[in-house]
Amino acid sequence: MKRIALLAAAAIAYVLSAWMVAPGFYDGFGPPQPYNWTCPPPQAGANIKPSSGHLDIKVINGKSDVESAFTEDGQLVIGFLPGAFDVTGKTSVAVDITPLPTCPQPTGLRFVTNVYQIAATAPLILQSSMTMRYSNLEPQPDDVYRADDPDGPWTAIGHASSAPPFAIITSTTKLGYFAAGYKESHPASGAVVVGGGQVLPIIVAVLIVVVVLAGLPLAVLRRRRASGGAEDEEGG
Amino acid sequence: MISTAKSRSLVRAAIVGSYVLLAEWARGPLVQQPGLAPAALLLGGAALAAVAVGWRAEQLGLGASRFGLRVLGGLALGAVLLVPAAARSGAAPILPAGLAFAAVAVSIGEEIAFRGVLYAALEQVGGAPLAILGSTLLWTLAHVLSHPPAFLGVVAAAGLLLALWRWACKDLVGPILGHVIADLAL
Repeated sequence: MKRIALLAAAAIAYVLSAWMVAPGFYDGFGPPQPYNWTCPPPQAGANIKPSSGHLDIKVINGKSDVESAFTEDGQLVIGFLPGAFDVTGKTSVAVDITPLPTCPQPTGLRFVTNVYQIAATAPLILQSSMTMRYSNLEPQPDDVYRADDPDGPWTAIGHASSAPPFAIITSTTKLGYFAAGYKESHPASGAVVVGGGQVLPIIVAVLIVVVVLAGLPLAVLRRRRASGGAEDEEGG
Repeated sequence: MISTAKSRSLVRAAIVGSYVLLAEWARGPLVQQPGLAPAALLLGGAALAAVAVGWRAEQLGLGASRFGLRVLGGLALGAVLLVPAAARSGAAPILPAGLAFAAVAVSIGEEIAFRGVLYAALEQVGGAPLAILGSTLLWTLAHVLSHPPAFLGVVAAAGLLLALWRWACKDLVGPILGHVIADLAL
């Protein structure tokens, strides 16, 4: 009885502590920190607004220096090669990364990250590598999308085949607005759909029903065996 | 004589504890490298499970008796671990397919290492209380590098629940099954 009470207490403690954080605490392959949302999904729990980033790139010998611009929360990083910008008449280039305060969802697309504006005081002329982190609360994005205006049109710009977990890597020759997402017409590739959406409550309900339905006959069987054993002992 | 046996148990528990901590901490940075995540998880799971070499299945709670009840216990544990996420709007994080298989390997490896071998080694040193609290403490420490601080409370609570199950039912099949279900869906 004491054991059951301790188990029940531990189960309650777990449920309470799990309730206080966003769901999802994978075994070492979860995101290094919770995603900071502009528009958090309902299951996100406590949310910190996403950060912006600023970088001043020096012009050395007529070329912009090699540098990386990133948001303070590390959700977007863009790396610039030497000479990445047309620096005619400039001594430095300012790069700003700003999360959009709104969350546009263009028709046919589903963004799983914030929308970020990347702007610079000089035109980009070389391809630059960009990494966007995404949340474990949303499906894996299929692509990175870019637009000149947040209202669109949005164009898929492709992505690298390998990236750290919960990150997508792409490259771009144009700055503008960026977000990672997938086409709504087909589910995100590489996702185990059974774990998401509205299926989880059904899984839990099925588990409970199986435990109760299979547990009762097993318990009755054990009780019969136990009483049978006791009778045998009494008889013997 | 008793003191020598106790010292040996203590040394063994310390070695097991250090090994599983190192295995877990080494996995964290590797998993963050592009393309290495599934391999790091599979190897990590295998490295953790390897600590069971030399232990009898019964010592680890892996006997075949009452197997139906053990499986049911695992399903019940899985349900408890999923309840908070399921109750919250029905949505849940979605695991990329490539990581699903690796997640199963890690779940099994972690249960064998923490609630199996480490629990048994600590039980020999200081009985069930030390085994429950010690395995939970090391389990939480093992996740310090891979999880944000806000998640460590719930990691500890999950570890305590699984360790208490191991003690109350003398069973590891339930924690393995519950952990696998939770890792696949959380």
